[in-house]
Amino acid sequence: MRLWQVFKNGLLDENPTFRMVLGMCPTLAVTTAAANGAWMGVAVIFVLTMSNLAVSLIRDFIPDKIRIPCYVVVIASFVTVVDLLLKAYQPDIHAKLGIFIPLIVVNCIILARAETFASKNPIVPSIFDGLGMGLGFTVALTILGSIRELLGAGTVFGLRVMPAAFEPAVIMILPPGAFITLGFLLGLFNLIGKRAKQVS
Amino acid sequence: MGRLTFQGGVHPIYRKEITNDRPITPIPAPAQVIIPLQQNIGAPPEPLVAVGDLVKVGQKIADTEAFVSAPVHASVSGKVVAIENRLSPIGKEVPAVVIESDGQAIPLEDLQPYPALEEMSPDDLRRAMREGGLVGMGGAMFPSHVKVTAPQGKKFELVIINGSECEGFLTCDHRIMLEWTDDVIYGTRALMKVTGVEKAYIGVEANKQDAIDILREKLGAEEGIEVKPLEVKYPQGAEKQLIKALTGREVPSGGLPVDVGCLVQNVGTTATFARYLKTGMPLVDRVVTVSGSSVKNPGNYLVKIGTSFGYILDYCGIIGEPKKLISGGPMMGVAQITPEVPVVKGTSGILLFDKKDVPVGEARPCVRCGKCVDVCPVYLLPVYLMDYTLKGMLHRAEEYHILDCIECGCCSYTCPSRRPLVQTIRMGKADVLARRKKRQ
Amino acid sequence: MEKLDNLVVSSSPHLRSGADVEKMMWHVNLALLPAILLSVYFFGFRALAIIILSIAAAVVTEGIIQKATGKEVLIADGSAVVTGLLLGLNMPVHVPLWLPVIGSVFAIAVVKQAFGGLGSNFMNPALAARAAMLAAWPVHMTSYAVPFVDGITHATPLSILSGAAHGELPSYLDLFIGNVGGVIGETSALALLAGGVYLFVKGVIDWRTPTGFLGTVFILTWIFGGNAGLFTGDPLYHLLAGGLMLGAFYMATDYVTSPVTKKGRLLMGIGAGAITVMIRLWGGYPEGVTYGILLMNIATPLLDRYTVPRIYGTVRK
Repeated sequence: MRLWQVFKNGLLDENPTFRMVLGMCPTLAVTTAAANGAWMGVAVIFVLTMSNLAVSLIRDFIPDKIRIPCYVVVIASFVTVVDLLLKAYQPDIHAKLGIFIPLIVVNCIILARAETFASKNPIVPSIFDGLGMGLGFTVALTILGSIRELLGAGTVFGLRVMPAAFEPAVIMILPPGAFITLGFLLGLFNLIGKRAKQVS
Repeated sequence: MGRLTFQGGVHPIYRKEITNDRPITPIPAPAQVIIPLQQNIGAPPEPLVAVGDLVKVGQKIADTEAFVSAPVHASVSGKVVAIENRLSPIGKEVPAVVIESDGQAIPLEDLQPYPALEEMSPDDLRRAMREGGLVGMGGAMFPSHVKVTAPQGKKFELVIINGSECEGFLTCDHRIMLEWTDDVIYGTRALMKVTGVEKAYIGVEANKQDAIDILREKLGAEEGIEVKPLEVKYPQGAEKQLIKALTGREVPSGGLPVDVGCLVQNVGTTATFARYLKTGMPLVDRVVTVSGSSVKNPGNYLVKIGTSFGYILDYCGIIGEPKKLISGGPMMGVAQITPEVPVVKGTSGILLFDKKDVPVGEARPCVRCGKCVDVCPVYLLPVYLMDYTLKGMLHRAEEYHILDCIECGCCSYTCPSRRPLVQTIRMGKADVLARRKKRQ
Repeated sequence: MEKLDNLVVSSSPHLRSGADVEKMMWHVNLALLPAILLSVYFFGFRALAIIILSIAAAVVTEGIIQKATGKEVLIADGSAVVTGLLLGLNMPVHVPLWLPVIGSVFAIAVVKQAFGGLGSNFMNPALAARAAMLAAWPVHMTSYAVPFVDGITHATPLSILSGAAHGELPSYLDLFIGNVGGVIGETSALALLAGGVYLFVKGVIDWRTPTGFLGTVFILTWIFGGNAGLFTGDPLYHLLAGGLMLGAFYMATDYVTSPVTKKGRLLMGIGAGAITVMIRLWGGYPEGVTYGILLMNIATPLLDRYTVPRIYGTVRK
């Protein structure tokens, strides 16, 4: 029961993108298409879950003063794994995501979870936290990417959705499109959050 | 010579033609007068009479030892029937003496005219000012004898008689200049003597050409006093703006006119001072402009201090559907909740407006047009001051000089979105002062 | 006395001038009438259709959002009409007819209402929408038409001048009356100037912003605009060509997004002029008025902050 709570927390209540507004750099930069967003999310799920697991394992051995460098080393190891795996098996995606894969090292979601959750909790809840947060991030990026791809190219995950007469608005897959879409999504989720609070 | 003026300001609805050719007419004394004890800025005077006492016209009924204060006098003869709190036109309940008139208007026996100006010293004149109960009759009601006393280390260089009467509707000062011209000039000379100044200007807005002409004619070749026509613009009569227009000097922020060597006195006060010196009868009556769309017989009336607005309006007649009663001018006057309030020394006008002339309409969002910035005669940014006040950012409001606001109302008058700018800034000023006090 | 029983009490002043935001907005619309008429004369009734669609979309969007958010519906205040009209005038005549509609929806919904409605937008809605449409459908937005000539051209006086397009440079007279290629509302300097003078006489706009804007463009293009060295440019051509007149008189003067101080308004014009010239002479686009004004819109709070006037009775530090 508690594990489900931990998982749901990351997915909805404390969604890293829409509620906490963390990790904005990849959020804005790679969501030009739904697939890019989803793959970025998958990479983050892996790194986040694994680093949460590792940090939780070693949490009693790390001296408090050097804990942040230790987390970074752990995270960097898993990022390297993801980077190499993607390069080997998904070279197209790897090329599209480019610098933003190595940059997961400094993604504040991962460091934040290590610091606020994994370093204080046992292994199993930490794994669930990583999965929940990672999935929340993935869902958010996929939504963002889908909307931008739909309006900016007329497709979703590469499949043509819009009728042939639709003329894509190039701005949506340019940086301003990311800001505009994210702004509206944040507004929407705030509205939903406010409504939910009023109901309960 | 170009007309003298200041920067900013507005041209409000004037409508002075309603009353500017109506001569000063006395209104019969009412059966009862309500005389607030404090009719000055500063310390409140203490009553010198008790309920049941008989008083005569000109008899001092309240005074105090305090310097910044002025005595008040009975304006009718009769019996004191009550000393209690009554509503005054400034919107507060204040202690007041209620006198029932015996209808005789018997003056106090020992009231004597003062000797000629040459035989009096500045100190004599200053004492006379206090004894006569003189305060600024333009509306501020600041004790005149305090105003003419230069603080340590400062000196007056110029006397400015304020005959600009820049508010709409009001014409009492205009009529005083026309009908009591000699008193205005005599009073000006008295003020020059008190302050030891050789030079005086009488500033008159150019829409009162007849007053300028008659003052110039009566002054003739008299040395030292000059009549200066001013551009017709509100708030030309505000002390700081008047000084800027006439001398080009600016009163320092937070300072007084004496800091630039000026004494500014309203023409009504000046003439009243002269009349007191000539007759010995203190300030017991004043000229009040009664005007507005709901007044049947508008005019300029000589009214006993303490007469209720209602009595005066009944005398002049009410027409239409009156909706707003104002003490003072339309730009800075105070709206009254009841006609029971009495005329005090600073009541320059009683305006009663019909329903159709009371502006209505909700405030709209500010579009930042900057018109309020253009018209502010102190060069403030009213749009930001209002914003900061509403958001509670008092430190910013203070930094933007909210306390320098003279509350002339030009910003609210001109705002195309009908926003209550000066009204909000007034609240902001109070908040800023309260915050300052708290920090000390 | 019972007649005086229900007096209203309010804080002074008790009078109001007749000035009214609605009137000002309608003055702006009226001032653009000559430009509308000339655009129809030069580009035909399709120009009118674009303008009407764009105004209608702006007004409807404003009304729907005000209704949906529980605000007072104030579409009659003319501000949405101004936005729609200005955006319509910023479209080339051959754009598909859905484009002005989407542009107006974007202007009102995203740029204006999302930030709080009238008075709260941080950019001129019409210009921001034009920039967005330019980024979204660049081909449509840069396919101009030359008056009385069928077909599409990418050449405007400015793009020919900058060498980005080929063609004969139109004469000063054609530029002045508007017989050149471009978006429908910007070509006629004559019509825009007439409206600008009207707005100035009516006291709707301040002289400082347009003067600073036009003056800066004039001086900078004169100094740097020529190929034969400094002071060989053709400033008059730069003044008359492109969207400068439209921008300087109707968009840079937008109250909401320009400074409230006098000095700030002058700086607003100068800044927008400088950016315009930089883009025109050295930038990737042939025209820079839109971005010049938008960038200065963003700088407006800062301009206000640094141009607070000296208060009466104080000495400037």
